[in-house]
Amino acid sequence: MTSRERILNSIASNKPALTTLPTVPIFEGDGSIERFKTVLEGIGGKAVEVSSKADCQAAIDKYYSDLKNVASEIVKANVAVNLDTTKEVLEQVDLAVIQGEIGVAENGTIWVPESNMLNRALPFITQHLVLVLDKNTIVANMQQAYAKLENAGSYGVFIAGPSKTADIEQSLVIGAHGARSMMVLIY
Amino acid sequence: MNHQDHPTLAANFNKDAERTTWHDETLWFVRQKRDRAIYPIPEFQDLRTLASEIKDHTLSNLDNYLIEFEQNAIKNGVKVHWAADAAEHNQIVLDIIRNSCKVEGRNTRMVKSKSMLTEECHLNAFLQKNNIDVVDTDLGERIIQFRDEPPSHIVMPAIHLKKEDVGETFHEHLGTTKGEKDPQILTEAARQHLREKFVAADVALTGVNFAIAETGSFVVCTNEGNADLGVNLAKVHIASMGIEKMIPKLHHLSVYTRLLARSATGQPITTYTSHFTKPAEGKEMHIVIVDNGRTQQLGRADFRNSLKCIRCGACMNTCPVYRRSGGHSYDFTVPGPIGAILSPNIDLHKYSSLPFASTLCGSCSDVCPVKIDIHVQLYKWRQIVGQQNELPATKKWGMKGLAKVLSMPKVYNIGGKLARGALRVLPHGLTHNQSMNPWAKARELPDAPKQSFKEWYEENR
Repeated sequence: MTSRERILNSIASNKPALTTLPTVPIFEGDGSIERFKTVLEGIGGKAVEVSSKADCQAAIDKYYSDLKNVASEIVKANVAVNLDTTKEVLEQVDLAVIQGEIGVAENGTIWVPESNMLNRALPFITQHLVLVLDKNTIVANMQQAYAKLENAGSYGVFIAGPSKTADIEQSLVIGAHGARSMMVLIY
Repeated sequence: MNHQDHPTLAANFNKDAERTTWHDETLWFVRQKRDRAIYPIPEFQDLRTLASEIKDHTLSNLDNYLIEFEQNAIKNGVKVHWAADAAEHNQIVLDIIRNSCKVEGRNTRMVKSKSMLTEECHLNAFLQKNNIDVVDTDLGERIIQFRDEPPSHIVMPAIHLKKEDVGETFHEHLGTTKGEKDPQILTEAARQHLREKFVAADVALTGVNFAIAETGSFVVCTNEGNADLGVNLAKVHIASMGIEKMIPKLHHLSVYTRLLARSATGQPITTYTSHFTKPAEGKEMHIVIVDNGRTQQLGRADFRNSLKCIRCGACMNTCPVYRRSGGHSYDFTVPGPIGAILSPNIDLHKYSSLPFASTLCGSCSDVCPVKIDIHVQLYKWRQIVGQQNELPATKKWGMKGLAKVLSMPKVYNIGGKLARGALRVLPHGLTHNQSMNPWAKARELPDAPKQSFKEWYEENR
């Protein structure tokens, strides 16, 4: 008998009687931009409202003029990143500007599917991350977010603020392994 | 090292009173953060009920969900492996590495994000014996890997250490300035060190927080981004999961993602909630599904719902015994109240003291996001420990003696009289002798009353 059969047989003989799967309601809640911004800033991110998607460039120029290597399909970029980009090139990226799909007001998180990432490693290896978000995609909570998300694609990540750790004496440090800072441009 | 019981190891931990107090307060601070994070959620208790019922249902149909998960994962181009125990899990991981990550003239390099399952299987030691370089990339895990210590908490693996300890370790291993203890500077040193490791890795291993039957996907939650950095830079991704990680549907994540981080650290959600479904082009993804005692626990009606655990650690942060005895005093992969109900399933003899590492106050059950009746199970394990004759002699004979006395009112009355008299005349050094009366450690008896309540009642009824 293979281990697979052994495990499945053992579950079949040990499991309890079938219980009902509950229905998860779509809870109501405050899905306002204000709440999204407040929560995001509470977890170390930054939120800036711009008047249109085209205005993202001006915001990047304003906040990130000191960063050299930029990867993006939304704003002016000088590092071309795609599926085949090598680790050595990815390592040099200072700023990635990527489209986010769903914002969640309750926890400041944003859904980023693989198709928006240019390369799966980019949102994590970049020193600084900017997500661009349509304000109409902001929902109140995770029930509403997953209701909008028909499938998880090949790979997708809810990102909430910059990379962080509190592993040394519970002292919060922003910028563990991933992005040192994270800004959301809301249009 | 010989196994020592919880009271012995807890006594060692308590020798440093200042550090014990600090540990207690630090974890209580995390518990308070948890409270602040849940109060603004009006449906928090509904979410706990849903989380519990979804897991109950999943366990009652676990074999079918695992089969559905496997079929979908295979369709997604993921390779699925099954391991009955720790040894088989470790061998499977090694075989994947040998088949898929052939390198010439050097050791294969693995980066790992947090996985309590691989701790349980002692994977690191096994791989290192087989010439695989293993680097734990979660900051806390890296710290304890340098120090060759096991984690003392499932979410905060290095919570037993102070920044001075970490500074000393990093000075030795990463060349930071001697005496440097600023968490910001130490974390930056680890970032630089680990970025090199991420870029150089051939294979990345992660744990699994949730596995979704309907899509064949699995979800990994981190704050540091180490799981995503590792797997997205390496050629091969191996994910190790216990059979109990299953949930039926993608949208069920909406319940657990609202509970996990709030319960664990008081954050509204982890920084990264990563959904892995298909490998990137030209890369490999493997899932190793592990039993290692879990199906046996599923068969124990009183204890099976311990398998609902989502490893948030809230029961540890709130436990008055854990906070004052430290994770290492449990000497089991998962410490704290949940560890004390999981461990006797694995080895009742070795872990017989753990169900007693509790005041049965029930705080663990109150904070559990999936409503495991932890303190009830602690009490039930105590009965089994007694029945299996695994109680220490003092406890066993003490209990037997007390049972006798309590069943004979005359003996009880005379005994009470004698004890009240004795307490008044015997020297303190004898009544509070700590080897004869461990209860008197750090406790004072009240003055013995002249009469018992029963005597008083007879006179005043």
